[in-house]
Amino acid sequence: MNGPNLTDLALLVPEMILVGAALTLILFARRIQNASLVTAATVVAALAAAVASIWLLADLPETGFKTGFGDMIVVDGYSQFFKILIAAALTLVTLLSVRTHGPPDPQTPGPTAQPTEYHALLLLASTGMMFAASAVDLLTLYLALELMTLCSYILVGTTVNEPTSNEAAIKYFLLGSFASALFLYGIALTYGVTGATDFETINKVLGETTLASNHILLAAIGLLTAGLAFKIAAFPFHAWAPDAYQGASAPVAAFLAAASKAAGLAALGRVCLVAFDFEGSVLFTVLVVIAALSIIVGSIIAMSQTNMKRLLAYSSIAHAGYALLGLISATDAGASATMAYAFLYVFMTLGAFGVVIALGERGESLDGYQGLATQRPAIAALMLLFLLSLTGIPPTAGFMAKFVVIQSAVSAGYWELAVLAVLCSVISAFVYLRVAVLMYMRDPREPEPARFPLAVSAAIVVAALITVIGGIFPNSLLSWAVAP
Amino acid sequence: MDYPILTVTTFLPVVGAVLILLLGSERLARWIALATTLAALSVAALLYWKFNPSSTGLQLEDFAEWIPMWNITYRVGVDGISLPFILLAAVLSVLCVGASWTAIRTREREFYAALLFAETAMIGLFAAANLFLFYVFWELMVVPLFLLIGIWGGPNRVFAAVKFLLFTLAGSVMMLVGMIALYQATPELADRPYGMLDFEVLATTSLPPGLQAWLFVAFLAAFAVKVPMFPVHTWLPDAHTEAPTAGSVILAGILLKMGAYGFLRVSLPILPHAVQRFITPMLVVSVVAIVYGAYVTLAQTDIKRLIAYSSVSHMGFVTLGIFTGTQSGVEGAILQMINHGIISAALFLCVGMIYERTHTREIKDYGGVAKVAPGYAIFLALFCLAATGFPGLNSFIGEFLIIGAAFDTQSWLGAMAIWGVVLGTIYLFWLYYRVVMGELNPGLKGLPIELNAREVLTLAPLAFLAIYLGLYPECVLAFLHVPVAELLTHGATP
Repeated sequence: MNGPNLTDLALLVPEMILVGAALTLILFARRIQNASLVTAATVVAALAAAVASIWLLADLPETGFKTGFGDMIVVDGYSQFFKILIAAALTLVTLLSVRTHGPPDPQTPGPTAQPTEYHALLLLASTGMMFAASAVDLLTLYLALELMTLCSYILVGTTVNEPTSNEAAIKYFLLGSFASALFLYGIALTYGVTGATDFETINKVLGETTLASNHILLAAIGLLTAGLAFKIAAFPFHAWAPDAYQGASAPVAAFLAAASKAAGLAALGRVCLVAFDFEGSVLFTVLVVIAALSIIVGSIIAMSQTNMKRLLAYSSIAHAGYALLGLISATDAGASATMAYAFLYVFMTLGAFGVVIALGERGESLDGYQGLATQRPAIAALMLLFLLSLTGIPPTAGFMAKFVVIQSAVSAGYWELAVLAVLCSVISAFVYLRVAVLMYMRDPREPEPARFPLAVSAAIVVAALITVIGGIFPNSLLSWAVAP
Repeated sequence: MDYPILTVTTFLPVVGAVLILLLGSERLARWIALATTLAALSVAALLYWKFNPSSTGLQLEDFAEWIPMWNITYRVGVDGISLPFILLAAVLSVLCVGASWTAIRTREREFYAALLFAETAMIGLFAAANLFLFYVFWELMVVPLFLLIGIWGGPNRVFAAVKFLLFTLAGSVMMLVGMIALYQATPELADRPYGMLDFEVLATTSLPPGLQAWLFVAFLAAFAVKVPMFPVHTWLPDAHTEAPTAGSVILAGILLKMGAYGFLRVSLPILPHAVQRFITPMLVVSVVAIVYGAYVTLAQTDIKRLIAYSSVSHMGFVTLGIFTGTQSGVEGAILQMINHGIISAALFLCVGMIYERTHTREIKDYGGVAKVAPGYAIFLALFCLAATGFPGLNSFIGEFLIIGAAFDTQSWLGAMAIWGVVLGTIYLFWLYYRVVMGELNPGLKGLPIELNAREVLTLAPLAFLAIYLGLYPECVLAFLHVPVAELLTHGATP
């Protein structure tokens, strides 16, 4: 086994950029009072990380991957795909957070966190996510996910003078640490059975021995799945999401719904396909159940929501289920389907949250959308686009995403699951179009929403462009989504 | 091939819609919409001149790589079946703008943009040469109509719009599963030049009968809702009644034809085994729709609802003709789709025009309209006669062909269809009697009911088509002989 050496550091350039930016922000926290400077710095760091990820991707050898730090991390097409996605999500969330640090508004009790701290936490959480995409060892993965969630707990609670925010942070923290404990226990059991924590060895041991049906291994797989399902907010580990999204400020909720879910899926995909992809693996059976129940529960409970962030939380639970439809086929094509789904989902959900943020206080409750189309036709049209995409209606990105995952489920023989998924998409159509009905078919009851910052509209427009282009020309994205 | 006519026809309306949205002028919106629909119509007319009715296969094709990762291509083309529908869609779009000229006074930009998006979806659907593209346009059609009904419709519009949307989505998601299953079942087509899911290629592959049956059911769910067939027709009266005139025209004129067109493009050529297997239930459901629809129509007191239910009955004739599986039956069904597109659109326009003045759709609020509006009475008489299948007007030939084919298949089917025609005559004449004849209803006194020049111009093309197709049906049938024969040979030799 090679020990770490200096050249390995080159593999971590994107992460180092983010950590560097975070540390700089913390270091100069007291000096920098200008919030827009902090935003600009974070955006530049995120874009630089994206560029570095692309550069590393272009620089890969013939084999398609490079490992480093004693095979603890890997840089391949899969990891870079997710790193670029996470960097893009970080950029958009940073832009969407601009209002959060605007001049204090007596009407809306804003967050009191320092902009520097807030952005440093975003950057560090993104670093954790990037590590999770690269991790090929259960211990690295655990550390990466912990970095991500620890920062997320604090981010949820940044609106310190809001009781709901504190409550959400505590709930999220308690459930989250429980899930982390389960995950850690799963690692321990896996190590006990296979004597290894790195994915390759685990898979080799399980393939060469008869340990696959070992009861302790089954427990280990169950525990690991529980920990990861928590990160992507899949049923039955979804209970934290509605409360956390509602209590957190809208940009943080968007960050959790988009980036955090993408990172969770990245980790889950690698664990499934590299570590536990053996004949008759129980993991995939578990995933089928989780996917089906997430889709059903997310779609149905979303119908009764009156708070927009809660609605989007249940929607994100359902979408976690749809994304898993790709992975359950246990093939490379299926993993690519999940990757494409994650990519497109991130942008449409960020767009929907972007509209919520743009509308300010009014965007939080469903009633606030009444008559929006007569007051602000452009923003209503964009919201309609994101809602149609979340429903999966062509020619938006959501349709292509849904097509690819359902096709993958059908190819694996899960007919019933495919039918269930499309029927639930009719239920979710009802959910999303309820908002469309409010926007387009009711008279406004509230005064026009205030103007919002340019950065927010820029982020929404970028999300909209990707939602449209991804729906009409999905090919380049599909060719880029290669499984580990 | 000098330039992609079909692609231009399809996407020209979207360009107009984007222009309307970007310009931001409420005043200009309807003018841009009129110019765009007229431009699309003139490009579509070019298709008509360039088309050669005697050759087989698709003509005037446009082809491009689209999603090589899935082996799905962009391919559009017309044959004799799709061309009449494209022309009909282009004509009706112009008339929709004409009918909305003064009727739509709120949020005009969004209205005309939605209308133009719907036009692209309609034309694209009929031009699509593969199932994937077909599905994209099929779904794209739903959103503008949802908005048209829900924003500019009648008092109960939101309910009607949501019901319309949920019904059609519930059907079309099953088509999505069917399409994916078809995709999955034909991996060998990946290397073909036109890629997967191409209609022409699929028609030459034979699928296992068991799979065909499942696929037939999945596609039936989508098509039956759109046609609409009994018993999934209940969205239609609500949607038609609440929609603004332009929405009703598009619904009745084009949207209802999409389902039947789907049977012709997917079920008959690709799933012949399953069609044979399900033929009896389909025929039974068709005649039930004809007769049941006619009886329900008799009971209506709202003019728009009455015409809406009559569509259920008339579309029953279309599915009856299709599932006889004979040359004349299918030709009659297609001709009847065009005819119904013309007549029901015209009837909805007539109702819309009078509603704009009286703001009531109840039949009892009318009477004696002929006394104050003779011109209106003449148009309505013409269209009512055409709808009953009066000889010399367009529906006659279509119904004749269908009923003839029905008698050849099972004589009781023909008898039931004749019964439907009789009932149709009753409800239309009775409607005409109650609205136009007799003493002038006191509530109508002093209202300027007579049509103005714009409205006459809107109705005149449809009146011309109703008479012209009645006297010379061969102008449509000539397009149908070759492709229908081709369609049925695929069906006969599975």
